[in-house]
Amino acid sequence: MAESAHSQTADAHAAGGTRRDFLVITGNALLGIGAVAAAWPLISSMNPARDVLAAGAPIDVDLSSLQPGQQILVLWRSRPIFIVHRTPAELKKLQDPQDISLLRDPDSNVLQQPPYVKNWHRSIKPEYLVLVGICTHLGCIPEFMPQPGGSLGPAWLGGYFCPCHGSRYDLSGRVFSGVPAPYNLPVPPHHFVSGTTVRIGENPTTSPFDFDSIEQI
Amino acid sequence: MRPRRVLPALLAGAVIAAAVLAQPARPATAQAAGEEAPPLPDVSWSFEGPFGTFDRAALQRGFQIYTEICSACHSMNLVTYDDLAGPSGLGYTEAEVKAIAAQKQIADIDKNGQPIQRPARPSDHFVAPFPNESAARTANNGAVPPDLSDMIKARDGGARYVYGILTGFRDAPKGVEMRSGMNYNLYFPGHQIAMPQPLQDNSVQYADGTKATLDQEAHDVVTFLTWAADPTTEERKRTGAKVILFLLAMTGVLYGAKRRVWSDIEH
Amino acid sequence: MAVSQNKLVQWIDHRLPVFTFLDHELNQYPTPKNLNYWWNFGSLAGVMLTIMIVTGVFLAMQYTPSVDDAFQSVERIMREVNYGWLMRYLHMNGASFFFIVTYIHIFRGLYYGSYKAPRELLWMLGVVILLLMMMTAFMGYVLPWGQMSFWGATVITNLFSAFPGIGNDIVTWLWGGFAVGNPTLNRFYALHYLLPFVIFAVVGLHLMALHQHGSNNPLGIDRKGPQDSVPFHPYYTYKDMFGLSAFLIVFAIVVFYFPNLLGNPENYIPANPMQTPPEIVPEWYLLPYYAILRAIPNKLLGVCAMFASIFVLFIVPWLDTSKVRSAYFRPIYKWVFWLLVIDAFALGAVGAHRPEGIWIVIGRVGTIYYFLHFLVLMPLIGWFERPLPLPPSIAEAVLKKRGGGALAGAAATRTKP
Repeated sequence: MAESAHSQTADAHAAGGTRRDFLVITGNALLGIGAVAAAWPLISSMNPARDVLAAGAPIDVDLSSLQPGQQILVLWRSRPIFIVHRTPAELKKLQDPQDISLLRDPDSNVLQQPPYVKNWHRSIKPEYLVLVGICTHLGCIPEFMPQPGGSLGPAWLGGYFCPCHGSRYDLSGRVFSGVPAPYNLPVPPHHFVSGTTVRIGENPTTSPFDFDSIEQI
Repeated sequence: MRPRRVLPALLAGAVIAAAVLAQPARPATAQAAGEEAPPLPDVSWSFEGPFGTFDRAALQRGFQIYTEICSACHSMNLVTYDDLAGPSGLGYTEAEVKAIAAQKQIADIDKNGQPIQRPARPSDHFVAPFPNESAARTANNGAVPPDLSDMIKARDGGARYVYGILTGFRDAPKGVEMRSGMNYNLYFPGHQIAMPQPLQDNSVQYADGTKATLDQEAHDVVTFLTWAADPTTEERKRTGAKVILFLLAMTGVLYGAKRRVWSDIEH
Repeated sequence: MAVSQNKLVQWIDHRLPVFTFLDHELNQYPTPKNLNYWWNFGSLAGVMLTIMIVTGVFLAMQYTPSVDDAFQSVERIMREVNYGWLMRYLHMNGASFFFIVTYIHIFRGLYYGSYKAPRELLWMLGVVILLLMMMTAFMGYVLPWGQMSFWGATVITNLFSAFPGIGNDIVTWLWGGFAVGNPTLNRFYALHYLLPFVIFAVVGLHLMALHQHGSNNPLGIDRKGPQDSVPFHPYYTYKDMFGLSAFLIVFAIVVFYFPNLLGNPENYIPANPMQTPPEIVPEWYLLPYYAILRAIPNKLLGVCAMFASIFVLFIVPWLDTSKVRSAYFRPIYKWVFWLLVIDAFALGAVGAHRPEGIWIVIGRVGTIYYFLHFLVLMPLIGWFERPLPLPPSIAEAVLKKRGGGALAGAAATRTKP
């Protein structure tokens, strides 16, 4: 039929190989470049929009009514932020060598916090701890369980317990060994604008830090 | 086939068809508007044409007019103070924008759930003069002052029309009976507009020392409103130039490729 | 027959013959060698459909279908989302260009008799696509929830109230309420997202029908052998790509420099159910039908005429009684065809103006001529017209033209002594 006769002409063209000359190759390349360039705005549109970024501005939290032993939860960039007022006893326990030996990264060597809180209490002022309340395993919100023992058994030292897969952290957000979570809870940029008012999302003026550079939220 | 003849005809045809089809819709509304409005004033703008950009000084003066005069009655709910910052905005620094925003009080709720007024932040939308439409209506004899965010795009004639309105206030001609509270305007459909003349010579004291004539003020505020209606205009034109240059090159190459492919065929 | 020396391709093709299919439909598919540039508009329409679906999917990620948020969310796309203005202007103007391309494609089919046997179903599937496009475009126009969105939706849905007895029930059902409101917006959004994929499926059938007998051609005569045709690839792929690139320049000029040229300023005012705009005008691509609707001073008859103006296209293959496909060989029909084109433009202009004075007259004459063309002139001219002699084959016509013979310009579209 016509079609078989037809394939002969097609084969003849292909055999000549004349199709693939400079103009054709350039044309193909431009079509490819154009298609890729056209895809970029679409992909870019899925990144946070200007208003979303603007809504991530720093927030001020007044801690004057936060009693020792209590935690409050605020939102910054749509993420839960824990602010804890730790008691002297709790602070003391953070330095207990036996407890520290159970931690995966006791010295906060992994970049999970700004350098100005890389210390034993992981905070600017020892009593006030500020954490991003997102488990480094798979993103659940760990529960604040400061009392040792209790429903978690006698081995529980007090800290954060993630209900999703049982990851455990101490009261400075340091992760224990042997749980699924790989890293300590992140500390967001923050500084004190007055004695009891903390500004979350902004570094102290002397210590620039890019929060996006941390290992993992 | 004679591509050299067919193609330009085709391209021209598409453009003309689009233009022709678009045109009838325009006069229709203008006609509906009322009794023989004069042609809109022909003013030249910095943002005209494919390479036109906004004159930053005019934008800042226009924003001053909006802030000191228009914003007493007109909201601009779609624009944020952030938008004013940087080269794509009005050229203000972030600190300046922060200060501009902080001059306005915005309704919010404090941590105890009580309604409060706090200074506006850069991420806030322009603070509206009235809390809601009913309040705006009551305060303005029953006519709601329209939101100005999209004003230039929302009227036939765009920038020229708004400029015409701002400079078109006149005494009502003899024999024209004005309804109560209405003002005569050359360019407003039906000539009776609820808004009293908003701009006169020296309505503002320009920060940059420019002489504040009515024409200057109208020109500046319309420049500002045109930017506000489409703050991405300059980015759009720049992107367009690149895209069209690329397409021209690609069209040329593909025309060559097509001819090369067809060169062994009698056609 | 192996489509490739590549072992992986052979392995896949043995199990899932996609490569054989593509080879058959592109490399083997014989296409008349004399297609002119008007034949580019079919593939252009396919590209426009793709552009609309792709930009639409990404816009849908940012859009909020609720009467309180819809306008704001579209403005947020324009002002806050990265390249949101580009996606929105591409989509908004893309609708217009999709219709421009499709209308040219339809008129090309009408001029060259592409609807005649054995391509009747191909043509009818095309009319189905046109109907689906109109529904999709109408519902898309409602989504930004501007004044024209709201009042356009109100007016168009109210058309159905013309049907006696059940009309009001139909309209209430369409609205999901007592007026156009949130339920209406939500269902329009759902359908606006769905219908393009239905169009995509019908386009697949359209192509299946096309490939059964292959493309018609400017001469309207059948291919008689290999000398009349070329394989689709690379000949028409490169011609289509060139045409696409040239077309995109025009599209880009409008999108980047005149993005609101084809829109209505009224739609930048948020919908206000308490106030009707001074004039309700549909998008330009629906203006001719709107003119037909208003030409008849009876609500029910007007609605019927409007629907009939599209449904009449379905029976065009049987209304045209001529044995000759291409209008090039039909000395009378050719002029009648151009009258129809003028009539369509005239009706478009009528639709854009208030039904007053001369526009009423033009609207009525235009409407009468529209139906006269299809229902009377098409059958009659087919019987009485004496067509010019047809060339013996495409190849001979092409060679003669190259030699400057009597058929010069046979493939060109308009010129004829």
